[in-house]
Amino acid sequence: MTKSTLCTPAEHLHRRSFLKGTLLTGTGLTVANFGNLFGSKALAAETQKQKKRCILLWMNGGASQLDTFDMKPGRPTGGPFRPIPSKVDGLEVCEYLPKMAKIADKLAVIRSMKTQSPGHPDGIYHMHTCYKMSERTPHPEIGAVIAKYCGNMDADLPSFVRMGPTGNTGPGYLGPDYSPFSIKRDGKLPNFANGGVKPEVEERRTELYRFLEEEFAKSHAAEPFENHRLSKERAWRLMRAKEAFSLGDDWEKQKDRYGDTNFGRGCFQALKLIEEGVPFVEVGHDNYDSHANNFVCHKANMQQLDPAWSSLLIDLDQRGMLEDTLVVWMGEVGRTPKINNRAGRDHYVKAWTIALSGGGIQGGQVYGKTDEDGREVTEDPVSEGDLFATIYKSLGINHRKKHYWGQRPVWLTPEGSKPLDKLFA
Amino acid sequence: MPAFEKAELLREFHWNPDWVTAVSFLGSTRRLFAGNRLGEILEWELPEKFEPEEEGPDPIRSYQGHDNAITKLLSTKDGKELYSASFDHTLRRWDLETKPEKEEKIVLNAGTIYRQQFKRSGKKEEPVERTVSVCSKSKNLGGHEEWINALVLSWDETLLVSGDDGGKVLIRERSTGKERQSWEVEGWVHALAFSPDNKQAVVSERRPLVFDSAQRQAIKLWDVEKGEELKDLTEEYKKHYLPALAWSPDGETIAVGKGEDADGIIWLLDAKDGKQRKKLDPVHRYGVTDFAFHPDGKHLFSCGRDTVIRIWDFHEGKLVKELGKPRGGQFKDWIHAISLNHDGTLLAAADMAGQVNLWRLA
Amino acid sequence: MLVSCFCLATLVLGSTLAGKEKASIRGVIDREISATWKKKELKAAAPATEAAFLRRAYLDLVGMVPTYAEARAFLDDEDKDKRAKLVDQLLADERHARHQAEIWDLIFFTRNPANPSATRKRGRFQEWLRKQFKENVPWDALVQKILLAEEEGSAMFHVQYRNKPEDETVALNRIFLGTQLQCARCHDHPYEERTQRDFYGMAGFLVRLSVREEKQGKDRVWRIEEKSSGEVLFTGAAAEAQPGQKGEPVSPKFLGGEELEEPELPEDFKEPDYKKLKEAWPKPVFSRKQKLTEWLTSAKNPFFTKAIVNRVWAQLMGRGMVHPVDDLNPENEASHPALLEALTQWFVEQKYDLRALMREIVLSDAYSLASAGEDTTAFPKWYDRARVRPLSAEELIASLRVATGFDEAVGKDAKMPSSASSYMLKIFGKPNDGQGRFQGGVDEHLFLNNGSQLRGMIRSKEGNLSHLLLNDEAPWEERMDRLFLSTLTRYPTDSERKKFTAYVTSNEKPQETLEESIWALLTSSQFRFNH
Repeated sequence: MTKSTLCTPAEHLHRRSFLKGTLLTGTGLTVANFGNLFGSKALAAETQKQKKRCILLWMNGGASQLDTFDMKPGRPTGGPFRPIPSKVDGLEVCEYLPKMAKIADKLAVIRSMKTQSPGHPDGIYHMHTCYKMSERTPHPEIGAVIAKYCGNMDADLPSFVRMGPTGNTGPGYLGPDYSPFSIKRDGKLPNFANGGVKPEVEERRTELYRFLEEEFAKSHAAEPFENHRLSKERAWRLMRAKEAFSLGDDWEKQKDRYGDTNFGRGCFQALKLIEEGVPFVEVGHDNYDSHANNFVCHKANMQQLDPAWSSLLIDLDQRGMLEDTLVVWMGEVGRTPKINNRAGRDHYVKAWTIALSGGGIQGGQVYGKTDEDGREVTEDPVSEGDLFATIYKSLGINHRKKHYWGQRPVWLTPEGSKPLDKLFA
Repeated sequence: MPAFEKAELLREFHWNPDWVTAVSFLGSTRRLFAGNRLGEILEWELPEKFEPEEEGPDPIRSYQGHDNAITKLLSTKDGKELYSASFDHTLRRWDLETKPEKEEKIVLNAGTIYRQQFKRSGKKEEPVERTVSVCSKSKNLGGHEEWINALVLSWDETLLVSGDDGGKVLIRERSTGKERQSWEVEGWVHALAFSPDNKQAVVSERRPLVFDSAQRQAIKLWDVEKGEELKDLTEEYKKHYLPALAWSPDGETIAVGKGEDADGIIWLLDAKDGKQRKKLDPVHRYGVTDFAFHPDGKHLFSCGRDTVIRIWDFHEGKLVKELGKPRGGQFKDWIHAISLNHDGTLLAAADMAGQVNLWRLA
Repeated sequence: MLVSCFCLATLVLGSTLAGKEKASIRGVIDREISATWKKKELKAAAPATEAAFLRRAYLDLVGMVPTYAEARAFLDDEDKDKRAKLVDQLLADERHARHQAEIWDLIFFTRNPANPSATRKRGRFQEWLRKQFKENVPWDALVQKILLAEEEGSAMFHVQYRNKPEDETVALNRIFLGTQLQCARCHDHPYEERTQRDFYGMAGFLVRLSVREEKQGKDRVWRIEEKSSGEVLFTGAAAEAQPGQKGEPVSPKFLGGEELEEPELPEDFKEPDYKKLKEAWPKPVFSRKQKLTEWLTSAKNPFFTKAIVNRVWAQLMGRGMVHPVDDLNPENEASHPALLEALTQWFVEQKYDLRALMREIVLSDAYSLASAGEDTTAFPKWYDRARVRPLSAEELIASLRVATGFDEAVGKDAKMPSSASSYMLKIFGKPNDGQGRFQGGVDEHLFLNNGSQLRGMIRSKEGNLSHLLLNDEAPWEERMDRLFLSTLTRYPTDSERKKFTAYVTSNEKPQETLEESIWALLTSSQFRFNH
């Protein structure tokens, strides 16, 4: 079964027409399309040439800055890890990130994050939307924004893919079109992705289903119905595009470099998806929330993080994709300089660290400073809004773009947010 | 059989630049050693008689060489050798013979002094300064490239056994320091214990990931001579981290302690087949940290993350006495390690609050 | 003529309204809600159809859709009081008790209970809970039983928090008083009045509880015992806690109230050696548990009644008047404060009769609005349209069984629903984003689309829906009634009737296309939601 090419975006983008048929050809015939990515790849490649992409490496629970990139050796808050020199003069990293140390010239480390939401639900929300969690406005996650402005609704592959522990806010006021597509934490498809009935049965019952939904939708506009319908469409698209998710031999060759771990495979899957034209992939890594046993927890996590993250950056660079792909490393909060009586560190938002690579960001630099014990930011504090403005600037998105929630205007970043120009090459 | 009814806290040696993490008596001498999280080691010389109204004595010597947390301190029964293991990847034997040449000033309440600067009100303590001699001669036995968490001497003291977070178990001849045998486990070595006949070792492993399929907890019996796995006991201990292991002097019982911020259950295993004989009650809240066998061969001592030391009759599997009470807020403070002196009359405990607690047992 | 009719009608209506208000709180509900619509200049949706009301009431009150026979019985009934009769019938139904027990069990334990080795298998507790709802035990008595934990099978709530009085303090306050205390555990609240000491004052009531395990044959039975001594120790703000700090004991103090007055223990008092006791412990000299229970479940407690009324309201109307339902703090204003107050007072007068409360809400006009309309909100704040919420996993499984006639099928594979159930719980257990907003993952669609479980439930076997329809002798157009009533609890529209008839008969083997039709109906969004 071949896909009909050259369907204009207008015919496909509108939700209703999406529901009308599996694919609408020029003559109005519906054609089922399973497993053939060729046309989609070409189409995606064309439209993606100008567009930027983003990978978010999400350190769920909040990674400790004092045990990764902002070490304080010899201080009471320093802990038992020791720093090692990196490829960049003056930038020391934790001894458990040796591979990252070797490619530190690709990193821009922001040590002066100063944010507002210290808990998990609020922190995850705030660091995915750059707005405080509240009921008034359903803010879209960063992935939804990027899906909208850098994505292509025609492609079979979704524009916003995520795996593992990630944000959980959704597309907010941008609408269910930009809902995330969740796959398993190692990048594999969810269970039951293979069609269970013969293609002709699938086709005809899909048509009946769509008829039923259309009738109902005429009189029922509530959001949950819409979400339900759209995720059904997404499920069908996923079944069509599942080839992109089987890594096969490629993974066998790479798994020693990335590490044969969920996170390692997830990073490799992200690389592949970015190559296929997906503009945003979020890979979550569990779990950094070490209120107890902080050091053994981080040691074990970094042993997974180091090979995966470094291989991802190296591979993006080798493929000439790093310039157009922004890789963001962050969690929802930092961790306390003070070590508690469970040998743990608790949440801390007054001074913490995130790192950016690629996407036009100048590597090999450190932005901002903290004091000798890591308690306060002493130079160049960065808010959530500033960070997002920077990310959007890298991706060619206007960080003050206005949308509407009902009657109310809403902006992608809060007023006063400014991109950190120093970071750009 | 001493019932420990009259056990009492004799002294608290305050030393709080950081957590005290290891402690050991030196053979049958009156010398007591303690190590802390910064890698410092101090020595006290205990008096023959302890006067009830007095405090002290003060520490007399510091041992310099480590630059990261001391995980284990142990000595030979003849009091001639002292070994220390650390996060700094080194395992050291200390020169106790040569007279120290230097002296230095140390501040026993350095931790309090540091923290005071953040307090806005309340009385400020004065620094408690003491002068100690300095010994900086030690031999790094080498062989490890990761944090060394486990260190034991065989019962006949011919072998010194250590294990690290790289998964390496290393057995050396104590007298020469030469490597005799070594093997790798799949995870990180957490604790180990040696059978009295030197034929078997029990090793617990971990890889402390959360929500990750690569997370690992394991406990296995190994053949020391061949360096091969004899029996995998992990099945009954899935999801349990086991930071403390001990083998009874009669070779028949293995004590297994669960920990790492979970309920500190202690199981007694039959050493012949590895089957659980008894589960001890009550548990150490938030985890067990260390074991020690009393020289009478009948009692097992355990300490944990609740500042309580428990004395067990390990044949009956019953609690005999508790020393101390849980201290701290929601999450209690820890006793990191305990050490009994040669005749079991004294017990020293490494207290996270920056002190060494000395108990008289009889 | 028209004018006099109108006057007469108003008179009659007026007196009936007045009569209704005196007898029930329904009128107050409708009055307050429509007053707010007027103030906000909102146009409310039309009333729901009989079929929509029927389905909604069944799902809300017994946790599953009605069978074909039950649906016909209601829709064909011409009695003008049929709604009230239906509600009474459903409230007395055994399935109502089961459904309520399921709902509350999930609130008490969530899908990931604490102390899982003890709480994951809590069949005895669930059975005990079902019994309470079956007997319509008043809410205050039910909470007392849970807190006192003296009845057989009732102890599980405390067991969750064995040796963790701080965790239990957070849970108790959140669930029964709608009060968020977890921040106060570690530090004084930045802008509300709660301090850390307040938190520890509450934890003091629970610190003396002890969980004791008894073996009865193969089962483990739990008992809650209480000591006569023991205090919570407070060491100040968590961020400043330092090893070596000896906590200071905090006396129990009622939240927002007084310190507990306790008699002093006699000087020579000694706790019995609990480790040696084999059976029940002696009662404590003074029971803090008793005092806590009295205070918490008192009608004078400003949060207790309000919290439960608001929760039951939210269960039925979609959104609490205070939202979220476990955050009744003063900053969080109720949408209809006068109504909430009136309902609270009324509930006390009704002696905490949960069925009475549910009855009044379900029979109000506000409850029976249509869910159709242009408004896209799932849970309208002003109740100007009926709410749309996803079926819970349990409701979905039960409804699929009813709709397909699974239990009536002869020779069914008895294992099928349970293996489907564990998948179902995994896939449908948590469909929203934590803020109650349905997100719809692909997982459920893939499972229903590609998994064999649902198709197996539908496949024709003697006694089930497919079989009945295939062997019905009426023309297919007429069989569509039964098809739609069994699955969507309504009659098909004309175009639906035409389309589905054509679909089924288009195939040589109508069994295949019939089963596909059932599949389409059961996987549609109108089945998925309670609307």
